[in-house]
Amino acid sequence: MQRRTLIKVALTAVTLTALQSTTALAENSVLKIGFVGVTSGPAAAWGISNQRSMEARAAWINETGGYKIGDTTYDIEIVSFDDQKDPKRAIAGMEKMAQEGIHYVVGPNVDDGAAAVRPVAEANGIMYFPYAFPKSLYQAPASNAVLGMVANYQSGPSIYKHLMENEGVKTVAFIAANESDPLSQRDGGVAAAKALGLEVVSDTVTYQVDTTDFTPVLTPVMRSRPDLLVLSGVSPANAPQLIRSARELGFEGIISTETAQDAGVLAEGAGDLANGFISVGGASTPELASPMMNEFVQRYTDMFGEYNDESNTKVYALEYILETLKAKPSAITDVEAFKATMDTFEAPNPYMKGDAKLRYVGMTSFGQRRQVAVPLVVNVYQDGAFETLFVAEVD
Amino acid sequence: MEQILANGIYLGSQYAMIALGLTLIFALMNVLNFAHGQMYVIGGFVTYTFYGQWGVPFVLALVMSCVTLAIIGALIEKFLFAPVIKGSAREESTMLLAAGIAFLLDALILLIFGEKQRGVPKIVDGVFNYDFRLIMPYDRILICVLAILSIVAFIGLMQYSKTGRALRALAQDRIAAQLMGVNVDRYSMIGFALGAMLAGLVGGLLVTITGVNLGMGGATSIKAFMMVMIGGAGVISGAIWGGIILGFMEAIGLAVLSQYGDITYLLIFVSLMIFLAIRPQGLMGKPWG
Amino acid sequence: MKNISSKQLVSVGLLLFAIFVAAPLIIGATGRWDFYFTLTSVALLAIASAGVWLTFYIGRINIGQGAFALIGAYVSAILVVKSGVSFWISLPAAGIFAAIVAIVIGLPILRLRGVYFAMITLVLTQVVTLTALALPITNGAKGISSIPLPSGVSLFGIPIIPDFAAMESTKLAFYYTACILMIATYAALYRLVNSRLGHLCRSMQQNEELASSIGVNISYIRMVIFAISSFFGGIGGAMFGSIAQSVYPSSFQVADSVNFMLNCFLGGLGYVFGPMLGTLVLYFGWDLLFELGKYQLLVYSIILIAVIRFLPNGLLSVRIGKGASK
Repeated sequence: MQRRTLIKVALTAVTLTALQSTTALAENSVLKIGFVGVTSGPAAAWGISNQRSMEARAAWINETGGYKIGDTTYDIEIVSFDDQKDPKRAIAGMEKMAQEGIHYVVGPNVDDGAAAVRPVAEANGIMYFPYAFPKSLYQAPASNAVLGMVANYQSGPSIYKHLMENEGVKTVAFIAANESDPLSQRDGGVAAAKALGLEVVSDTVTYQVDTTDFTPVLTPVMRSRPDLLVLSGVSPANAPQLIRSARELGFEGIISTETAQDAGVLAEGAGDLANGFISVGGASTPELASPMMNEFVQRYTDMFGEYNDESNTKVYALEYILETLKAKPSAITDVEAFKATMDTFEAPNPYMKGDAKLRYVGMTSFGQRRQVAVPLVVNVYQDGAFETLFVAEVD
Repeated sequence: MEQILANGIYLGSQYAMIALGLTLIFALMNVLNFAHGQMYVIGGFVTYTFYGQWGVPFVLALVMSCVTLAIIGALIEKFLFAPVIKGSAREESTMLLAAGIAFLLDALILLIFGEKQRGVPKIVDGVFNYDFRLIMPYDRILICVLAILSIVAFIGLMQYSKTGRALRALAQDRIAAQLMGVNVDRYSMIGFALGAMLAGLVGGLLVTITGVNLGMGGATSIKAFMMVMIGGAGVISGAIWGGIILGFMEAIGLAVLSQYGDITYLLIFVSLMIFLAIRPQGLMGKPWG
Repeated sequence: MKNISSKQLVSVGLLLFAIFVAAPLIIGATGRWDFYFTLTSVALLAIASAGVWLTFYIGRINIGQGAFALIGAYVSAILVVKSGVSFWISLPAAGIFAAIVAIVIGLPILRLRGVYFAMITLVLTQVVTLTALALPITNGAKGISSIPLPSGVSLFGIPIIPDFAAMESTKLAFYYTACILMIATYAALYRLVNSRLGHLCRSMQQNEELASSIGVNISYIRMVIFAISSFFGGIGGAMFGSIAQSVYPSSFQVADSVNFMLNCFLGGLGYVFGPMLGTLVLYFGWDLLFELGKYQLLVYSIILIAVIRFLPNGLLSVRIGKGASK
C-alpha cells in the first residue's frame, strides 16, 4: 500500500509541475525568446555558455525597464530546452517552442540537431539561429535558419592567410574528433588550406570524442612536423589537453582552431603551454570591448559566478533578434516580415568600440542573407587572457 | 616503437586501475555499475577542489577523493543496491538502478562543479626526452608509477588481509561464504565502497594529467566495461590484463593505423568484437559470467 | 487465440481508445500540440524497445538496438534520396536489412551470454556509428539531410496513404502512422510470446542447456528472435529519419541503446506491454519535467531511482504484484 501512495504522490507532483504555467507578474508584456541546445552531458559547455549569455542579457534588459519594440515595452523571457545533443530531443524542443508561441529561437548547437529541427521550424514559422555550419541549412530553399556566428570555412582561410604572410607558415596538419561537426570542419579547413597553397601534411588523424589522453593520438601527427597544427572543431574541454600533449611531445609550431575557447579553461588545463594558441572569439578583448560589453561580462559574472569567454560570440544572436524586431515591430509574430527586413537591416554594434554595424550577411557563402555579421575576431592566448591578433569581416 | 610501448604502459596502467573497481563490484554483487565513470569524475573534481582550488597538498587531496567516494559507494550499496537486489526477480534489473544513479551523479556534478573543463597545476614539471624517440613528461611517469603501486597494494590487500579474503570468498560463492560465517551484507558494502574508492583514486590521480569535466563519466564507464570484458568479468587479474591490452591496442592502433584516420577506432572495436566472439568469456573469465 | 480473456480485451480496447480518441481530444482541448511529436517519439521508441524486450525474452541483455535503428534510418534515407524509392517501400526494406545484418552478426555473437552479450552489443552500437562516419554511401560526417516527406500511395487509383508533403500539418499523420506501427508491433509481439516459439523462448531463458537437451534448436531460435528484434529496431529508426528528414551518424548512439534497454527494465521484463509503458514514462517524463530548468535531470534521476528502489520488477509489477512475472 505504501508503495502505491508513493507512486501517487510522485505522479501528482509530476503532473502539477507539468501543468503549472509560468506566470510573469510584470507590468510589461512578455516577449519569449527560445533556446534549444545542449546543457547537460559532455558538450554541456557549448549550450550553457549560450543559455547563460541570453539569460544575463534578458535580466539586464528587464532590470532596466524592458525593451521597447514599436509602442510596447517588453520584458524578455528566455525559454530554454535541453536537447542533450540528441537530434530527436531537439525536434521535441522546437515543438515545445512552437507550443509556447515562440517565433525566434537560438540554437541548436550541433549539425545534426540543426538539420533535424528544420521541418518543425519551417512548419511553425520559427526563425532559428543555429551554431552549426552546414551550408545546406542556410542556402535556399531553406530560409528559416540564420547562422549565429562565423563559420569555420570563413574564419579558417583568413587565419591561414594571416599566418602564411606573417609567420611564414608553409605546412599544416589537421586533427579532429571523430564525429560529424569536427570532421566536416576539418574537411572544410583542408580545402581552404589547399586553395591557399599550403601543404597539408596530415589530415587523417582523428580521436574519439571521449579521449582523455591525447599523447598517443598526436604522436603520428607530430612526426610530420607541421608549421601549423589546426584543431578542427575542438571542444573547449579537449583543447587544453591537445595543446599540452602537443607541446610536451616537442611541437614548436603554431596551434590554432576556428571555434571559440575559454581563457580560464586554457589556463587551468595547459598553463603557459597554451601561450600563442590562436582561436576565434568575440569582441571582449580590451582593444575592442565597448563599455556595454564590459558591463555584460560583469553582469554575467555576478549572475553565474564565473564568466565564460565562449559567451563573447554568443551574446549576439539575442541582440540581433531584438534589434531586428525593433526595426520591424510586426515581425514579432510574422517571420516573413523578419526575413524581408533582414536584407536591409542595419544597426550599430553596441558591444564593440568604433562604428561596427549589426547587419545580416552571407551572400558569398549562402547566396542569401542568412548569417549575423559578427566581427571575426582572431585571438591569441597569452598568460591567462586573450589578445586580439586581427579583426576581419565576413560578407 | 619506444614511444608506442611507453604510451601503452602508461595508458594500460591507468585503464587497469579504472577496470579494477568495476570488476570488483561486478564480482561481488553481479552489478554492472554504469555509474563507475561518474564516480571517477567525482574523484577528479574532489581532488581539483582541494588541490587546485584550496591549495591542499596533492596527497591529502587524493585521500579526500578516496574517502568521499568510499562514503558515496557505501551509501549507494546500503540504501539502493542491496534492497533492489533482494527485491527483484531478475538480477539484471540492477542495471536500471545503476543507470539511474549515473544520471543522478551527472546532474549533481553539473550543479556542484559546473560545466567547464577543469585542470590543476602540474605536480612535477619537465619532460623526459630521449632523442625524440621516447618522450614522456615527468608527471605522467609519476602517475604511471603511482597507478602501478596502487594496483600492487590492492592485490596485496585482496590476497593477505582478512577483508580481502572475505571479499574473495564472497566473490567465489556467496552462499558458501555466508555459511562460513562471513557477514555478507557488511562485506558487500565494504566491497562496493572499495570499488568506488578505486574509481575516486584514479580520478584524483588523472586530474593532474587530463583534467576533468562532467562529460567524461559515461565514456569512462564504457571503456571500463570493454577492459573488463577483454580480461573476463569479475576476475581481478582479468581486469588488469584487460586494461593493459586495451591500452596497448590504442597505442599501437593509433600509431600504425593513423593514415587511415577515421577508421582507427572502428578497427579496434571490430577486433574486440571478433575477439569476444572467439573467446566469449574473455581472457580468464568464468564462462558465462 | 483462445487465451484472451474478456479483461484483456477491455484493456486493449482502452489502449486503442486512449491512442486514437482520448489523446487527440485531450491535446485538442488543452492546445498542447507539441505533445503529438512527443507521443510519436514514444510510439517509435517503443517499437525499438519491443525488440530489446524480445531479446530479453531469450535471456540476452541487448544494448545494441541503437545500431539497428541507425541502420534502418540510413537504409530508408538512402533508398528514398539516392534511388527515389517510395518511403513506404523503404520502411519494410529498412527492417529487413536490419534483420539480415542481425543474422550475420548474430551467428557468432549470440553464443555469448550475460554481461558479455550486453557488452558486445554495446560495442556494436559504436561500430555502426563509426561505420556510418566512414562510409561514402552514408555521406560520412555530413549525414543525409533534406529527405523528402513520405509520398502518397494509391492502389488502382484509390489513394491508400495520402501524400505527406501536401498536408497542412504532418504531425497528426506521423502520429497515427507511428501508433499504427506500434500497435502492429505489440500485437505481433503478443502473438509471438503466446505461440509455441514463445514457450521455447521461455524455456531458453531459464536454461539453454536443458532446452537444448530436450531437442530445442536453440541456435535457430536465437537467430530468429534476434532478427525479429532488429527488424523492429530498423523500422523505428527509419520512421524517425523520415520525421527529422535527416540522418546523421549520431542520430542513434550508445545513449539510445542504453535507453531502449532501460525502457524494458522500467516497464517490467515480465510483461509484453512493459517496454511500451517504460518508454512512455521515461521519454514523456523527461518532457514533463521541462519546466524545472537546470534541475530537470536531477529530479528525473531521483524519480527513476525511487521507482526502481520500490518497484524493482518494473512499473507493471504494481498491478500484478511481486513474483507473479513470467
